[in-house]
Amino acid sequence: MFHLPWHIVLPTLLGTVLVGALCSALGTLVVRMNLSSLGFAMAHAAFAGAALGLTLSAAEPLWFALIFSGAVAAILGPLADASRMNADTILGVVFPVTMALGLVFLYTAPSSGIGSGALSLLWGSVLGVTMSQVAWLGILSAAVAVLLLAFGKELLALLLDRKLAEAAGMPTRATFYGILFLIAIVVAVSLRITGGLLIYALMVLPASAAFQWAYDIKKVFVLAPVLGVGSAFGGALLSLGADLPIGSAIALSATAVYLLSIAASPKRRRPR
Amino acid sequence: MDGPVVALDAVDAAYEGERSAALHGVTLRVRAGERLVIAGPNGAGKTTLLEVINGLLPFQYGEVRVFGRAVAAEGRRLRTRIAYMPQDLSFPPTTPFLVRDVVMAARYAQIGPFRWPSAEDRRHVACALDAVGIRTLAGRPIGRLSGGQQRKALLARALAQGSRLLLLDEPTANLDPVARDEVARVVSRVEEELGATALVVSHEAGPLRDGADRLVCIEDGRIVADTPQTPSRAALVPAGVA
Repeated sequence: MFHLPWHIVLPTLLGTVLVGALCSALGTLVVRMNLSSLGFAMAHAAFAGAALGLTLSAAEPLWFALIFSGAVAAILGPLADASRMNADTILGVVFPVTMALGLVFLYTAPSSGIGSGALSLLWGSVLGVTMSQVAWLGILSAAVAVLLLAFGKELLALLLDRKLAEAAGMPTRATFYGILFLIAIVVAVSLRITGGLLIYALMVLPASAAFQWAYDIKKVFVLAPVLGVGSAFGGALLSLGADLPIGSAIALSATAVYLLSIAASPKRRRPR
Repeated sequence: MDGPVVALDAVDAAYEGERSAALHGVTLRVRAGERLVIAGPNGAGKTTLLEVINGLLPFQYGEVRVFGRAVAAEGRRLRTRIAYMPQDLSFPPTTPFLVRDVVMAARYAQIGPFRWPSAEDRRHVACALDAVGIRTLAGRPIGRLSGGQQRKALLARALAQGSRLLLLDEPTANLDPVARDEVARVVSRVEEELGATALVVSHEAGPLRDGADRLVCIEDGRIVADTPQTPSRAALVPAGVA
């Protein structure tokens, strides 16, 4: 079925499944809290950071991705939090800066050039995943699941309405920043598989699709990772079978899931 | 407690980025078990007063104490003991929360970290839904309810918190006359059964205002009148309800 050997295919499939679950679970928070612009900015900052890591010939460029996306969370989080900067402004400022930085770093990286491994940071790579990375993704997925369960009440209160949560004495600010840094970590870690340009598709589309199916946020939290895993797995199969960039294939697969969900959503049916 | 439940001394408060203060030198005492109705024209500072009392809006001068504790220092901890129903909150049709979860969320801060609601918490929620007469709506999406039903759900949420201090901002807005009477009876019953204190913003005449102990009028951020009310709210509570 695939032109690549199983020792490459297997880590890719396992990695994409875990990234699909991780991104879409956090995507539920992103979509409900209207953090799309902030998350988009973090994804591109992670790309710029990883490109810098390549330029510096760092052993693990993803540490630089983590620092960059974490910095965006730390700097832009308070601005978005206090509504001092609207979402369009965040996107308008951060997107060109991070893309420009990322492309400059890639241009100066030792192995730059179209088709090089460095450019896999842009659109992902089926060749870049090792079993050790899959193991780390598994540990991160388990940690995120534990955090979501442990702080479920705090998250639900915040997702319902921030002012109500604050009025009831919930720690809304700490929860908000916790969410931002969790997104920053997941974006940076997922970068190698999906690429910096399209990772955001996996965060927003499956979660948005899940919201089409349920009125109960707890069900959305279960359904979004299921759709995320399906989108990521479908995209990985498409990439491996048709020799397409994996980030693009996953984004197309997630878009198809989203469009199907819109079309079949029970929320759009008119009562007879 | 012996002292007032709510005490404000010469409080000035302004919203961020605004030059003029929304409250000017407000001094107020509210005793345990009192129902105080706050009235005044739009923009007078009624909602601001409630937000200062529960610590949602920082104040620049003066002192605010609730249950004898300083709001400026213990705002979040105090808010777990204050039930608040905001005025301007409505849920759009796509809101992915069921009514029972909206009401339960009021208890989350009391449940504490790393724990989930117990049977006791669920009982509180059921009682609150019963009290406002919407138990049959518990499993419905909150965004699918009418504006009046959403107000009732928010009132149930305030009641489910089990607090002895209720801050209710226009609780009868969007309600029909029958529902307005129901809400007034619910507030009276909570006051009677729990000895709760209620500060209610209401700029419309009706049973909530009629049953108040005091009517406080605000204009331009200043208290311009603070008068006892008659008849007593006891006359409002039907026999067998309290």
